[in-house]
Amino acid sequence: MAALAGGLAYVAHRFGSVLHYRWDWGSLGGALLHWSVAHHAWRAGLLLEGLEATLRLALWSSVLTFLLGFGFALCRISRSLYWRLLGGLYVGFVRNMPLLVFLFLFYFFLSSQILPLLGLDRLGHGAGPAARFWLGLLFGPPRELSAFVTGVFCLALFEGAYVAEILRAGLQAVPRGQWEAALGLGLGRRETLWRVILPQALRASLPALAGQVILLIKASSVASLISIPELTYMANEVSSSNDHVFETWTAAAALYFVVCFGAASLFARWERARGTALAAGPRA
Amino acid sequence: MSPSRGPERASRPALARRPRPPERYADARPGEIIAASPGVAALGALGFAATLFVLVWLAWRGSRDLGYAWQWYRVPHEIFRRVGGGWQAGPLVEGLLVTLGVSLRAMVLALLLGLATAAARLAGTPFLRGLARAHIEIIRGTPLLVQLYLFYFILAPLVGLGRFWTGTLALAVFESVFAAEVMRGAIRSVAPGQWEAARALGLGERTIWRRVILPQTVLPMLPPLAGILVSLIKDSAIVSVISVFDLTNQGRNIISDTFMSFEIWFTVAALYLMMTLSLSTLVNGIERRVRRLRA
Repeated sequence: MAALAGGLAYVAHRFGSVLHYRWDWGSLGGALLHWSVAHHAWRAGLLLEGLEATLRLALWSSVLTFLLGFGFALCRISRSLYWRLLGGLYVGFVRNMPLLVFLFLFYFFLSSQILPLLGLDRLGHGAGPAARFWLGLLFGPPRELSAFVTGVFCLALFEGAYVAEILRAGLQAVPRGQWEAALGLGLGRRETLWRVILPQALRASLPALAGQVILLIKASSVASLISIPELTYMANEVSSSNDHVFETWTAAAALYFVVCFGAASLFARWERARGTALAAGPRA
Repeated sequence: MSPSRGPERASRPALARRPRPPERYADARPGEIIAASPGVAALGALGFAATLFVLVWLAWRGSRDLGYAWQWYRVPHEIFRRVGGGWQAGPLVEGLLVTLGVSLRAMVLALLLGLATAAARLAGTPFLRGLARAHIEIIRGTPLLVQLYLFYFILAPLVGLGRFWTGTLALAVFESVFAAEVMRGAIRSVAPGQWEAARALGLGERTIWRRVILPQTVLPMLPPLAGILVSLIKDSAIVSVISVFDLTNQGRNIISDTFMSFEIWFTVAALYLMMTLSLSTLVNGIERRVRRLRA
């Protein structure tokens, strides 16, 4: 406690006397919102644009992560050795590698090999203004689309391994009697999985999945290193152009905190609502 | 907990005693290693090997079409090189040592900080408890990369910290929060009866902590703490962005010199894998030993 207070006092002392840091929170205004003379309207500054891109990135990679994770969870619990080995290879490969190394490896691979095949650069050209608006809202500006898609794929491929393990644990936590009862009632294996096992498994793994989404939002900051213009990237740009490092990074951290904390509270509330609904509802 | 847990558990003995279900249902549950006939298992393994072969072949063909020249023979030179009469560590080994240095220091710091934070959350004054809670929420709610930049651009020039220690400190603070939550959970999971019994025996508060409560937290704490330490090793790759010359940064440097992207990144990944796997094996060994001591 005393050491903590001493350390803080020392930092504050250095701040005041040694560095002569000139605080200027006003400089941050333009980076958040600025008045556009051309449009006669308030426009999002670089930081808010970055936040928007972060949210977009997190949304699409969450969707893809969940699909991948589900597929590989099914592989991991398959009866056939082939699928189990394949699932084990993916999970073992990804979970033992730093995100940064994974990003660099796949960024090079995806952007040089896969993306040219998709022809994303031409996607927005024939679209009308309304379609363009929606495309922009959902996927960002067209000229950044291929970088964006690379980022989504990289993040989803990485986080998918973790989600696969969460879902596998959830599926295996469903008591054996549930399988036996469902099969005894004459349901097929697939039907049993979909209608009996999966709902229970999802319920059990919901908190862990919610945590993984929040981890994904935070992990998306690393995507700035492969030049995807999201919040961290923008904060880097802003802090190097306006020279107010402290204000800019504090604002970026605060934005992340608001998003992550908000998401966590939302998930917690949803979980509670589900919990009470479950307790009150009929015993299925 | 699902509502069906109670009755299900109660009927376990009955399930165990009843006759085996028909063969068709016996292997119904996924996730169980089923004793498939050796022929089927061999077929699966063979198919897997074939798939691996196809994947490698596709990668090889793709790289050939791209004009990528594989130069694996140059990789050993980056690990160990012959200088004069003796051997010298190559850049990859140097990076590996830096990564290990950062990780080990950050581990010790993270465990100490985590213990302090957990103690503050559990036993501190209301002010201290609130402070610990806020600390945990703020660190958990912001990305490590942003924290690293905050440490690097603000804290480091203020107190005159080098890059190596800035990275170590940022890493330690980030992981300590997760460690604190694990420790708090493990301490809270000790049955209240243990406290009551120890107090009834007239033990002092300090003795209770040291001899009764903490020993019981070791076993439940080990697996999640091992997970945190493994992620610490992997997260340490991020210190390369403040130009600490760790494994990742050395890899990037070599690639910008030699353009061997795939070879180097695969080697770097394998080195990380070696570190994380040996840590997991170590912790597994400790866990087994503790379990045996308690038994």
